[in-house]
Amino acid sequence: MRSNRLGWLLLSPSLIVLFIVGFLPFLYVIWVGFHDWNIFAATRGMSWAGANNYRRLVFDQDFLAALWRTLVFTFTVVTSELVLGFVLAQTLTRQFPGRAFFRTIYVLPLVVAPIAVGATWRLMVIPGFGPIPYFLERWFGIQYRIGTYAEHAWATAVLMDIWHWTPFVTLTLLAGLSAIPREPLEQAMVDGANRWQVFRYITIPMMMPVILTVVFIRIMDALRVVDEVYMLTNGGPGTATTLIGLHIFRVVFPKTDYGYGSAMSLLVLYVTIVMCWLLFVALANVGKQKA
Amino acid sequence: MLRHRLFVTLSILMLAAMVLAACPAPVAPPAAAPLAEGEATWWRTAAESAGCVGVTLRGVSESTPPSNFAKDVLAPAFERDTGIKVELETTSWDQMYDKAIKDMEAGTGIYDFVYIEQDIIYAYLANNYLLNMTQFLADNPNLAAPDFDFGKFTTFIDYFKDAEGNVYGVPMEAFVKIYLYRTDLFGDPEAQAAFKEKYGYDLAPATNYEQYRDNAEFFTQWGKDRGLELWGTTVQAASGHPSSFYELFETILPSGGVYNWGINMENWKASVENGGTMNSDRAKAAFQFWLDMLQFAPPEATSSTWDEVAASFAAGRAAQGWVYGENAAWIASDPERSRVVGNIGVALPPLADESVLQDAEEGRGYIGYYDGGAFGIPVSSKHQACAVLWNQYIGQESVQADWAVAGSRVVMDSTFDDPKVQAMDEQTNGYFTLLKEKGYLFAGAPPFPFHATIREVIAPFVYRAIAGELSAADALDQAAAAVDAELPKLGYGE
Repeated sequence: MRSNRLGWLLLSPSLIVLFIVGFLPFLYVIWVGFHDWNIFAATRGMSWAGANNYRRLVFDQDFLAALWRTLVFTFTVVTSELVLGFVLAQTLTRQFPGRAFFRTIYVLPLVVAPIAVGATWRLMVIPGFGPIPYFLERWFGIQYRIGTYAEHAWATAVLMDIWHWTPFVTLTLLAGLSAIPREPLEQAMVDGANRWQVFRYITIPMMMPVILTVVFIRIMDALRVVDEVYMLTNGGPGTATTLIGLHIFRVVFPKTDYGYGSAMSLLVLYVTIVMCWLLFVALANVGKQKA
Repeated sequence: MLRHRLFVTLSILMLAAMVLAACPAPVAPPAAAPLAEGEATWWRTAAESAGCVGVTLRGVSESTPPSNFAKDVLAPAFERDTGIKVELETTSWDQMYDKAIKDMEAGTGIYDFVYIEQDIIYAYLANNYLLNMTQFLADNPNLAAPDFDFGKFTTFIDYFKDAEGNVYGVPMEAFVKIYLYRTDLFGDPEAQAAFKEKYGYDLAPATNYEQYRDNAEFFTQWGKDRGLELWGTTVQAASGHPSSFYELFETILPSGGVYNWGINMENWKASVENGGTMNSDRAKAAFQFWLDMLQFAPPEATSSTWDEVAASFAAGRAAQGWVYGENAAWIASDPERSRVVGNIGVALPPLADESVLQDAEEGRGYIGYYDGGAFGIPVSSKHQACAVLWNQYIGQESVQADWAVAGSRVVMDSTFDDPKVQAMDEQTNGYFTLLKEKGYLFAGAPPFPFHATIREVIAPFVYRAIAGELSAADALDQAAAAVDAELPKLGYGE
């Protein structure tokens, strides 16, 4: 029997780091979630609250509204990015003039930190200073006000996320498309399949593992967006763009309600896991039926 | 292939050139005047005796003109005179708090000094975050600088003392939130005649809400008629950012006769039915007045924090407004950043009625916000003695005048008499005189240890009112009820 000792030895540094910076804080958050703890309260320190924080969550309209808003946001951006990313990936598999230049420019958003993306978009869309409201008003008479109109702020937050992350989806799908063997595609063409049928019955099923990976990554990212939206709108106007990550940030940091904020974090983590699991099961079943 | 590579290389070079072109050339900050030989020797000796030479002090502050002066001018001078390097991180207001509080609560000792805004000091003292400087200097007389004396500061230093009079922070900025107006517009004979014809009285800087509203309406229409990018007022109404809460609760409500956020400090209740004034008729009227001003404000108003308000005013987009005093000097004097140089006037903020001024004169209330902060030393700092030296260095009388000119802040009485400050006073049409003579009418934030927590309870209602989801009255009713419910959870008013 081969010894696994060397394998564990090589893995151990990573596992130790993961345990310290990942698992221990996670356990701590669970512990804090069962306490009342606000550093600016008259009584310092944590006091045991049992499941009270979780009970509060069920009736907390602000939390539930932020969670629903986030689910809508996630569905909108992930779907848009997937569709756009697929179209662009397909386009990039072909040769056309300026393809290399486009590919270079196109991936630039990926290297920009989310906080910088938010700041840049804010500078572009802030009324009075940004070029986008200026030209929209001058050319089309549209008064674009992200601080005033909820729908403008929402649309801008969605567009910003799509701009930032579609390149990632495209690159991943492009890698997947490049890895598809040509034989099944050619055989299908020889058998008389048209382009749509090839795409629908050959390309999509073969790409399913890549699509699943991309969708999971993007769902998890979109559910915890904070910094971009924080910079762009601060969650406003009103609560129009207060996504759940931003809501939790406010409860934990400015409000210093650590216990309740921890409970919220755990619930959102649970929702994320359940969503991904349901999606995985659904897509896996679709794959089995096709087979 | 070669052509392809050339194309890619040129693309990358072009992008790099665009990025580099967008970066401004670094401007060398003015250097602080060298100290006299004896003084310089004292600082060096003190640093050596405390084992601080070669040490790097780390601090965090909000990115404001006074903080940037400390970073760009005072820190290099301090290093020159002591051999102690200072890395001052100037960041956004909320990030600054986030970092400082996390560091002090966890006791990690990342920061050796932190900016303490006047309104948060009570929370820091309640949590024993800060070093008692009075005690430290008494215990270490060899580290007490000859040019440093707590007694030289204005009464603003009192905000940073405990009940026994011990000082926990050295004031580095203090200013009032003033009423700023455009002298060129208010002095325009054509505008004056048109105003008098329309409203029946003389155009002048506002002293009350009605006059402020008339001015705002008039200049908004004036700008529209002439195709100017001009509106009647600034409003710090970023819906989603605490700055809108602060303008309402620390500037507008006091000018309407509602003090201490409307919280009754005897029973810690906010609603009228429980003895507070947060949802009183006066508070609702003041809030409604402020919301009404949005129609006369530039389109960026609902995205404007304190920074954008100053920028809007400096860009000449508003005829009048409530502006933090730290911006007065650069708006009045820096032609590279301001389009209204030589055209600004300062005055006391407009009030709901005369009773507010009377309250302030007699010590029962205040007419606006006296803002400012200090550098304090966390007890978790690993270089407390070195940080005490830094705090004394920035608290020397000799560095105050240049700092005041750069950041329109004054923390010592003697600074008002400096020729540089008096010259700037003329440029700002009397900002420093107003600060000196009328500063007593303003007040800092109430002494709430729960400041940030309760602000976050109230702020969402303000945001929703700005967004039009709630009326002013409903927002204050709901906010007061929420505060009454939250404070007992924090251990107040049970």
